[in-house]
Amino acid sequence: MNISRNAMEVATALVTALAGAAVCYGAMENGIGWTESGPKPGYFPFAIGCLILIGSTATLGQVAWKSLAAGPAGESGHADSFINGPGLRTLAAFFLPIVAMTAISAWLGLYIGMALYIFYAMYFAAGFRLYSSLLTTVIVVAANFIVFEKLFMVPLLKGPILEYFGIY
Amino acid sequence: MGNFGQLMDGFAIALTTHHVMIMVLGVLLGLVVGVLPGLGAPNGVSLLLPLTFTMDPISAIILLTSMYWGALFGGSTTSILFNIPGEPSSVATTFDGHPMAKQGEAVRALTLAFTSAGIGALVGVLVITLLSSWVANFALRFGSPEYFAVYFMAFASFIGMAGGSPFKTLVSIMLGFAVATVGMDTISGEGRLTFGLRELSNGISFLVVVIGLFGIGELLLTIDEGYKFEGVKAKLKLSTIFRTVAEMPRYWVTIVRSALIGCWMGITPGGPTAASFMSYALGRRFSRRGKYFGKGEPEGIVAPETADHSAGSCALLPMLALGVPGSATAAVMMGGLMIWGLNPGPMLFSTRPDFVWGLIASMYMGNLIAVVLVLATVPLFAFILRAPFTVVGPLIAIICVIGAYTVANHMFDIWLALAFGIVGYAFKKLDYPLAPFVLAVVLGDKAEDAFRQSMLSSGGSLSVFFETPLVATMMAIGILLLLLPFISRFAGAVLGKGNAAEAGDGRHA
Repeated sequence: MNISRNAMEVATALVTALAGAAVCYGAMENGIGWTESGPKPGYFPFAIGCLILIGSTATLGQVAWKSLAAGPAGESGHADSFINGPGLRTLAAFFLPIVAMTAISAWLGLYIGMALYIFYAMYFAAGFRLYSSLLTTVIVVAANFIVFEKLFMVPLLKGPILEYFGIY
Repeated sequence: MGNFGQLMDGFAIALTTHHVMIMVLGVLLGLVVGVLPGLGAPNGVSLLLPLTFTMDPISAIILLTSMYWGALFGGSTTSILFNIPGEPSSVATTFDGHPMAKQGEAVRALTLAFTSAGIGALVGVLVITLLSSWVANFALRFGSPEYFAVYFMAFASFIGMAGGSPFKTLVSIMLGFAVATVGMDTISGEGRLTFGLRELSNGISFLVVVIGLFGIGELLLTIDEGYKFEGVKAKLKLSTIFRTVAEMPRYWVTIVRSALIGCWMGITPGGPTAASFMSYALGRRFSRRGKYFGKGEPEGIVAPETADHSAGSCALLPMLALGVPGSATAAVMMGGLMIWGLNPGPMLFSTRPDFVWGLIASMYMGNLIAVVLVLATVPLFAFILRAPFTVVGPLIAIICVIGAYTVANHMFDIWLALAFGIVGYAFKKLDYPLAPFVLAVVLGDKAEDAFRQSMLSSGGSLSVFFETPLVATMMAIGILLLLLPFISRFAGAVLGKGNAAEAGDGRHA
């Protein structure tokens, strides 16, 4: 799978345009007009939403203009690539575990999420041996526990398991 | 010399053992942040900020600014030794720094970089010392229309000065403003743009945005670009360091020019990255040895480093005196000031002179400490960087995730940060500028308040922005900046037609 830069430019511009439209829509719920005491709460956001729409449309136009202008030359040479298949897989292999860690943390608490993630990253992704991976995990979790709970007194989410063991 | 007396008072505050310890700690943390790719100055400061809420503001700002200096210095270390810029602003340092290191002169390259960076930072701090209270006094006359005009100028200059597409800059700024308006409206108390989500009713913290855009986004980018260290060994020899320092006066023209560029780009929100590139480009054009640039030329290291650091320090001047930060990191710090209950801007100079001058005095100290520490820790960081990114990456990811959580103890913030991470990755790869995004998030509320208060005072007429000569001039400059890309493109089209036709012919032939 190969995503060209042009496709990504178009997709991004469409997403920002969508965001602009959403902002406009949200602003309308607050009222975008004027009252005697000045602009209504939605006035400023509505203008922002419109500017996002204008900017996104212009970007789309620029991309279209450029690819049209480069059309004949583009046939012979390859179009710029945004990301290719292996690149996308590497990226997903890095990003998805972080997403999984967040999901697990929301359920079982940050320390357990963190421990599972570090173990996964060391054992499966970095190819550490089992004991090294376990040791790294323990060190990282312990270091975080000391820094946040003890030094800076910022409690992190514990989750049901740690609370069961009486760690708050 | 009122400033001088106040500066001395500031030194009395900054030179306590407690604060010097904080500076050392901050610089060390900053070095780590600067050295590790995927963990930059804006992100590092955001991660540390929630931990400073309980500290007193002076210690907290000294910690954060020291971290900032450390990050600026640390970024140059990796640029030179590994050809990997730890910070976007030290990209230009790789051009000549790494070639020189490869020729076996790593220590000379590092010393050149750190010394010129120190000089640049010192010039920047001097400018702050001399100008800040003057600017603040001037700004005391500002009403809301003037403030709106200042914000307008700041954002217009992003659009006008940006190298890339002005429309992408516009989208980036406005998305930032949109993020800032989410949550409760400060004037009417209504919830805005929450789309019925309870989690959004408190608004989106700029810290979460920065951790996402700069932290997770940059991690993804680092993974994507492939991460290989082709390190150069650096053995520190004191004699080489001293010889290189003695060599510095030879480059005084470059230093002066670069420092001026840096100060200008730092005060106007061009930022350190733009400053270092511009200084490098101008250095290559004006230096007698310009054609050797890129092959390990000393001036090619001095030019970007001096500009980078003078811009980095000067970026704090408009933040302190006007409440308009000159860089993404300064924007984060300004957000911090507001959280600590301080209102950045001219009033700060009269209400909290101890804070302002303590901070300025700490900048002199912090930079000195940074120069010493960065030289002392080169071998240590060179060792740390031998660790493969498959190990370092997940550790940074955990720091980012926890950092997002500690902002307000909400799991939702982590999801937001992950989402902003994807946005940051895509934006960066497609050349959408990220610094104006952050600036807009931090300044959004203030800009809107200024706008609405001006409208209230004028009864809804836009003419309030052109009433007095001062505000009219600022608005005119802003509009001119906005139109700059179109003017230059038009001029380029008229002048460059002949060249373009020739180039077209050349391709066919």
